[in-house]
Amino acid sequence: MVNDGAPDMEVVAQVLGGDGEAFGILIRRYEPGLLRFATRMLGNPDAAADAVAESLVRAYRHLAQCRDPGRLRSWLYRITGNRCRSHLARRHTNDISLSDAPPLADGSDTWAVLERSEQVALVERALAALPAEKREAFVLKHVEGMSYEEMATVTGARIPTLKMRVHRAREALLAALEEVVR
Amino acid sequence: MSPIDPRLQEALDGERDPGDLPADLREAHARLIAATQMLKATPPVSVAWRVMAEIRENPGRVQSDGPARRLIRWLGRPRAFTVRLRPVWTLALAAGLVTVLLLPWSNGGPTPGVAQGIASFVGHFPGARSVEVVGSFNDWSRGTLHLNDDNGDGIWHAKAVLPAGQHEYMFVVDGERWVPDPLAGRYVDDGFGAGQQNSLLIVRPVSSQP
Repeated sequence: MVNDGAPDMEVVAQVLGGDGEAFGILIRRYEPGLLRFATRMLGNPDAAADAVAESLVRAYRHLAQCRDPGRLRSWLYRITGNRCRSHLARRHTNDISLSDAPPLADGSDTWAVLERSEQVALVERALAALPAEKREAFVLKHVEGMSYEEMATVTGARIPTLKMRVHRAREALLAALEEVVR
Repeated sequence: MSPIDPRLQEALDGERDPGDLPADLREAHARLIAATQMLKATPPVSVAWRVMAEIRENPGRVQSDGPARRLIRWLGRPRAFTVRLRPVWTLALAAGLVTVLLLPWSNGGPTPGVAQGIASFVGHFPGARSVEVVGSFNDWSRGTLHLNDDNGDGIWHAKAVLPAGQHEYMFVVDGERWVPDPLAGRYVDDGFGAGQQNSLLIVRPVSSQP
């Protein structure tokens, strides 16, 4: 029996040993980040939840194929990213619609919160306008806090390519933010 | 959209202290950092119950059978004869393989059933301490199919009775390095994105052998 603080490798071994319930530890550990990532990629919380749920089930079914359980996080993000790309491909566009943009601010009606909500919506619109591959690179780097090496593992792209995508995404976001300031 | 000053990119990549930037770049840096902070809120939903419900409905697929169960299953299958030929590294190796493949299996080797065939795995891994095969036929579980290099020449080989049909597989070298079979000739995307490929093996049933 492993506890919630056990390293990924121990939990994976436990699951592969037949304790399917132990997979719940991994879900609790990585679900928030995966949902955040998928929501930013798809712009729709419901679609993101579906993508993450499908990805986690797929990860469970293929857990024995995880070649390095010590890097489970990268593997889960890779599966989820792949799922998101499939979802976007089915929509025939890599851009997410503004109406899909998820509300992130809380329900308070103070002016400060409303102002922040507008700012959040602005940033989300700017992010949504990016091509999917640049959006993915930006989110992995700045929202999920990954290194370029880990991003390469997740996306399969080369590090110089990822750096270029992140740089272009920053330029686009900064330009969008400055447009509003003017 | 105009290019950002490289110094700002460096600061955002953690390669430069933002405090060293000129005032206008410091402001842009702060604006982008603030924007990214806004994107870090986690959606207040959970899919844990959906995933666990799906797993509980069908909990067995991730589990690999134990050695005893695999042995019983293997023993319970009918046996027949077939050989799968593979490309070889050198003519000498080819000759050796042909010799091995032409040996009658009735001399103590495994005998596949009608819907089975024998797969030969060969890999050139000089200096390796261990080489094994994982694939769709053993639930990608390690410890079930080891290759041998009895004469220490770096050429590892093994045979296994497998169900006829298509199988995906990889070599695991020294217990940690997963590599596709360079001699497989056919490969297939592993389905997890990132362009990783599994080797593809097609086992012919004994009934198709001349």
